[in-house]
Amino acid sequence: MAAVATCGSGAGSTGSAVATASKSNVTSFQRRGPRASGTNDSGPRLVSIAGTRPSVRNGQLLVSTGLPALDQLLGGGLAIGTVLLIEEDKYNIYSPLLFKCFLAEGIVSGHTLLVASAKEDPANILQELPAPLLDDNSKKEFDEDVYNHKTPESNIKMKIAWRYQLLPKMEIGPVSSRFGHYYDASKRIPQELIEASNWHGFFLPEKISSTLKVEPCSLTPGYIKLLQFIQNIIYEEGFDGSNPQKKQRNVLRIGIQNLGSPLWGDDICCAENGSNSHSLTKFLYVLRGLLRTSLSACIITMPTHLIQNKAIIARVTNLSDIVIGLESFIGSERETNPLYKDYHGLIHIRQIPRLNNLICDESDVKDLAFKLKRKLFTIEVDFIS
Amino acid sequence: MLDSLLSLGGLVLLRDSVEWEGRSLLKALVKKSALCGEQVHILGCEVSEEEFREGFDSDINNRLVYHDFFRDPLNWSKTEEALPGGPLGALRAICKRTDPGPVTIALDSLSWLLLHLPCTTLCQALHAVSHQDSCPGDSSPVGKVSVLGLLHEELHGPGPVGALSSLAQTEVTLGGTKGQASAHILCRRPRQRPTDQTQWFSILPDFSLDLQEGPSVESQPCSDPHIPPVDPTTHLTFNLHLSKKEREARDSLILPFQFSSEK
Repeated sequence: MAAVATCGSGAGSTGSAVATASKSNVTSFQRRGPRASGTNDSGPRLVSIAGTRPSVRNGQLLVSTGLPALDQLLGGGLAIGTVLLIEEDKYNIYSPLLFKCFLAEGIVSGHTLLVASAKEDPANILQELPAPLLDDNSKKEFDEDVYNHKTPESNIKMKIAWRYQLLPKMEIGPVSSRFGHYYDASKRIPQELIEASNWHGFFLPEKISSTLKVEPCSLTPGYIKLLQFIQNIIYEEGFDGSNPQKKQRNVLRIGIQNLGSPLWGDDICCAENGSNSHSLTKFLYVLRGLLRTSLSACIITMPTHLIQNKAIIARVTNLSDIVIGLESFIGSERETNPLYKDYHGLIHIRQIPRLNNLICDESDVKDLAFKLKRKLFTIEVDFIS
Repeated sequence: MLDSLLSLGGLVLLRDSVEWEGRSLLKALVKKSALCGEQVHILGCEVSEEEFREGFDSDINNRLVYHDFFRDPLNWSKTEEALPGGPLGALRAICKRTDPGPVTIALDSLSWLLLHLPCTTLCQALHAVSHQDSCPGDSSPVGKVSVLGLLHEELHGPGPVGALSSLAQTEVTLGGTKGQASAHILCRRPRQRPTDQTQWFSILPDFSLDLQEGPSVESQPCSDPHIPPVDPTTHLTFNLHLSKKEREARDSLILPFQFSSEK
């Protein structure tokens, strides 16, 4: 009202706007330039979290899963706020490797980790993470392994990588800003990287006393404790924006190992119609709610080959965002099949999410096989079948 | 490899069936570990103590620590020597022992425990017992713990058996042919490929283990995995082969784009 009164005799609306602009020296066109961190508007600040990048397709913020080949199959990476479910292989040899690559990627990018397990102490899990490959030389030879086509494009890739050799070697400090790293499965992550990182562990036998009564149709006590733990960490460290963060915004990577196994107190692997068969599905529902409202991404490994009721597997698949199944050839007749002699198993991508989209980012290739070489876990297109 | 089962530690699952019983193998392994000087605890739930101790000589019997849950499993007689907490309480009490040294715990049988306790509780207790030596920084270093569990696989569905075998470090499935017993041993080491092996054996009357070669090869008639390859060109509705006359006609055919004297 005051503004109208002071320039009421002005020429028109533009005149009054100019008048008010000259009065307060503020224009309505504000430059969204790089600001100091800690401000609360959206936009370019999202890109400033290390280890994340926006998706080129729908603008979702993505984090790397730790395996660049898997990132490519999932359409760029794992979106923040989603759950990656890995169906374990029968002898649980290869799924821990994917789990550990995800956590190692979090350490190398400087994200906060939350590791939950009922089987192993999270401190031991972190000791066994694979070491990142920092040398550009070795990145070149692994580039030609990952893209296993016999086309001239692989030669072009080699040439591009040769040019990188002329650049000074990239020294990775405590935090690397690159998206997606290669890991050497035969070496352990250096101890100083673990100590420099911020991680929280949840080991079920320590947190729970064994004589709790469970009322029917509710969550298993182990799951309740885990959800409370995750919620506390998200709230205290401000991943959901509740506490204004003084330092840079960061991403929380949650890793839950062997969810649904009897060691978590859940009997879906033991009985077909257990007493609390909805416990796991409720857990996933609540977990997804926690993730969607915070800057976090979660990886879960689940022994689905042990789950007796197939309807539960279908529900679990619907409640997760990305579902990947690992099928190793050990013990099956495919091990001696000469067609599969180069590979250790098959990867089935069972579900990819449609986030803010009508279609999902499905890759055209459906026959994917993986192999664990001396150092590296590679996923290749199975050209044979 | 059957005689080095206990050296790996962890849970060793003995899966037997009605035809190939496993209690004699269990007793043989118990005797072997007792002779090696380890502490041996037996949780006897399925057979009486006299029946279990039968066949062992006296020095082995003196080394065995027997926890009897057969005579009075629910502790109705309320005597002082009853162990609190049932079989799981006894397991945890063995874990909390303070003297170092390797320990072998024989569970006779896991089937009995599965029928009386929820499967998840049993799995958690077994995991806590068999992984006790890997927890660091906790008072005195405790020796390796081996848990031998006898499981009658015909009594249970695939669920509990699958859950227990995913927990087990070693799984021994008893079978055999024509009077000779075999043990199929599947060894899961963490982060390595599982190895499996079949070992033929027999148990002598004094419960020592006698490893044998398998039965002779020619007495296995129907284990031939090679099916004779089927010729796919038989029984076709169309003809794949050419007769001689047809072949000559084909060879003498003039192709349309070839310039010859007739055109």
